[in-house]
Amino acid sequence: MNDLNEQTVLSISELSIAFGGIKAVDNVSFEVNEGEIFGLIGPNGAGKTTVFNCITQFYKPNHGSIRFKSKQGQTVELTHHKSHEVIGYGLVRTFQNVELIKELSILDNVLIGGHIDYKTGVVRQAFSTKTAKMEENAYRAQAIEILKFLGIEDRKDWLVYGLPYGILKKVELARTLMCNPKLIILDEPAAGLNDTETLDFANVIRTIRDKYHTSILLVEHDMRLVMDVCDRICAINFGKFLAVGTPKEIQRNKAVQAAYLGTEDAA
Amino acid sequence: MKKLNLSLKNPIVSYIGFGGLLMLVPALILAGVLRNSTLTLVASVIFYSIAALGLNVLLGWSGLVSLGTAGFMGLAAYISAYLTHDLKLPFELALVAAVIIPTLIGILVGFISLRIEGLYLAIATLAVSEILRKTFEVFDFFTGGYSGKPISFPTILGFITQTPANRTLFPILMYTILVIFLVAVMILIHNLMKGQFGRALNAMRGSEAAAQAMGINLLKYRLMAFGLATALASLSGVLYVHFIKYTHPGSWTLALSLNLVAAIIIGGARNIYGTILGVFVVFAMPDLILKQIPYFGTIPNFAFIVNGILIIIVIMYYPYGLIQITKDFKKIWLKLKERFS
Ligand SMILES: Nc1ncnc2c1ncn2[C@@H]1O[C@H](COP(=O)(O)OP(=O)(O)OP(=O)(O)O)[C@@H](O)[C@H]1O
Ligand SMILES: [Mg+2]
Repeated sequence: MNDLNEQTVLSISELSIAFGGIKAVDNVSFEVNEGEIFGLIGPNGAGKTTVFNCITQFYKPNHGSIRFKSKQGQTVELTHHKSHEVIGYGLVRTFQNVELIKELSILDNVLIGGHIDYKTGVVRQAFSTKTAKMEENAYRAQAIEILKFLGIEDRKDWLVYGLPYGILKKVELARTLMCNPKLIILDEPAAGLNDTETLDFANVIRTIRDKYHTSILLVEHDMRLVMDVCDRICAINFGKFLAVGTPKEIQRNKAVQAAYLGTEDAA
Repeated sequence: MKKLNLSLKNPIVSYIGFGGLLMLVPALILAGVLRNSTLTLVASVIFYSIAALGLNVLLGWSGLVSLGTAGFMGLAAYISAYLTHDLKLPFELALVAAVIIPTLIGILVGFISLRIEGLYLAIATLAVSEILRKTFEVFDFFTGGYSGKPISFPTILGFITQTPANRTLFPILMYTILVIFLVAVMILIHNLMKGQFGRALNAMRGSEAAAQAMGINLLKYRLMAFGLATALASLSGVLYVHFIKYTHPGSWTLALSLNLVAAIIIGGARNIYGTILGVFVVFAMPDLILKQIPYFGTIPNFAFIVNGILIIIVIMYYPYGLIQITKDFKKIWLKLKERFS
């Protein structure tokens, strides 16, 4: 396997996956650079979430390679790993339909994001030894810090059950920040936010990139947000690659325009 | 130096206080207020609670079902009885062996079934516990078969034995040991469930996708949860056989496993006091209350019917179990306090 070059953090090449004859993703390739905010766009059913599921190994692609520059500095072929191993390399994600534990508080949900970094084992946790307590308190403090940054610290003890969608999306985002990630994958993070909140959210994403030194790969339907915040964008439709480029280039691209206007023959 | 937090709001303190409360039972028996049989009744709530707490880790926290709790309890009971009674090994050694052997078998069963899917655990444990029950009936050199296996009280720490002089005190000593084990289990489970391990189990139950994305190896944590449940079922079985001094294949049937599941649903999933309340309702209420009711008390399986009705009521009105009622009482109490102050 070839190592990734200096500036690349994620490289997807010739990715394909089919579900019972339907090619959900068909030969898609793109690369995300270190420190980049990268958008993946496409109409409903284009295959965006499926690409994310392939990257995080929830789906095993039929074809193609997904290479990632890990936290440890090595190039990893993600398709050789299991879905629960991916976060250890510094790649963490959110879900389009929000995957939170509704019986737990916001704070506890965020703490799940720190799971892999715990050093104390089960026995020491059971006896609540000093090191176990200290470690738990340190992660609690970190989680509260993150919640403060996202402006929901005052609700940290609220149960997740029944909270508005916009808040849930934020809690999921907070959870990704617990593991010091190198790349965060966000599936429609601004869903459920109103116009002003969406504007704020652009700043939140940029701040995350700068403060946590990460790259961000996001799927989002709000085009103003995507065009505002992304350094580069990849557009797909019916699982097929359309174009990759800066927001300006993508807006001018004929194939992309056609896909969004729905004129079949142009695509 | 931090000051020790001795308020009842500290769960650990409250568990120890609860243990103290349980010790009132023998005190009241010695004082002649309660009948002798109450000791056995409360003791059975204690050992079933230990198994139920383990099962709650599985059912409540991890969202997995085992229908084999009784089988593992029985296996542990027979092993411990055999080692102390037939082989004359020390009680403490027998206890450790009788917890470890069923737990290892449990983990093996778990490993085979959980690799496929969470639901298969219910089927596999059901099968294994039926096989175990058959074993208890057939291998009579080890189990005493249908006539059961009577044993005597164990020798504690190698020198405390039952003698004619301490006839009445010895059961109380055994009871005290049960209480100590229960309080220890309550504390350990509380510590585990509020931390990283408990959150991982919660995540697994609440969203397998989120759990995996956060690095939780589902198979590993399912196995750990099932291992813990089996270990506590085994401990419960050991304490049972050395307190009751008898074990019989008929004690370890599917009905017991189902009753333990019912206790958790009725008392409260993911709640330590709720588990004990549920065990009390399912295992002690029939003797204490139901059988005293004229006419209905004599209907066979009346307790089963009541449990069924209770489960329906709880699911409809108290989805977090009967332990929720205590919260309602607290609310009413606070309101009353407000009004009259
Ligand atoms: N597990 C699956 N089994 C069968 N078909 C699937 C599966 N996952 C995705 N698909 C199909 O793959 C195609 C792409 O779906 P995907 O969810 O990736 O689209 P998307 O771009 O994320 O759309 P949206 O913007 O609506 O979220 C759809 O036709 C979908 O029905
Ligand atoms: Mg999608």
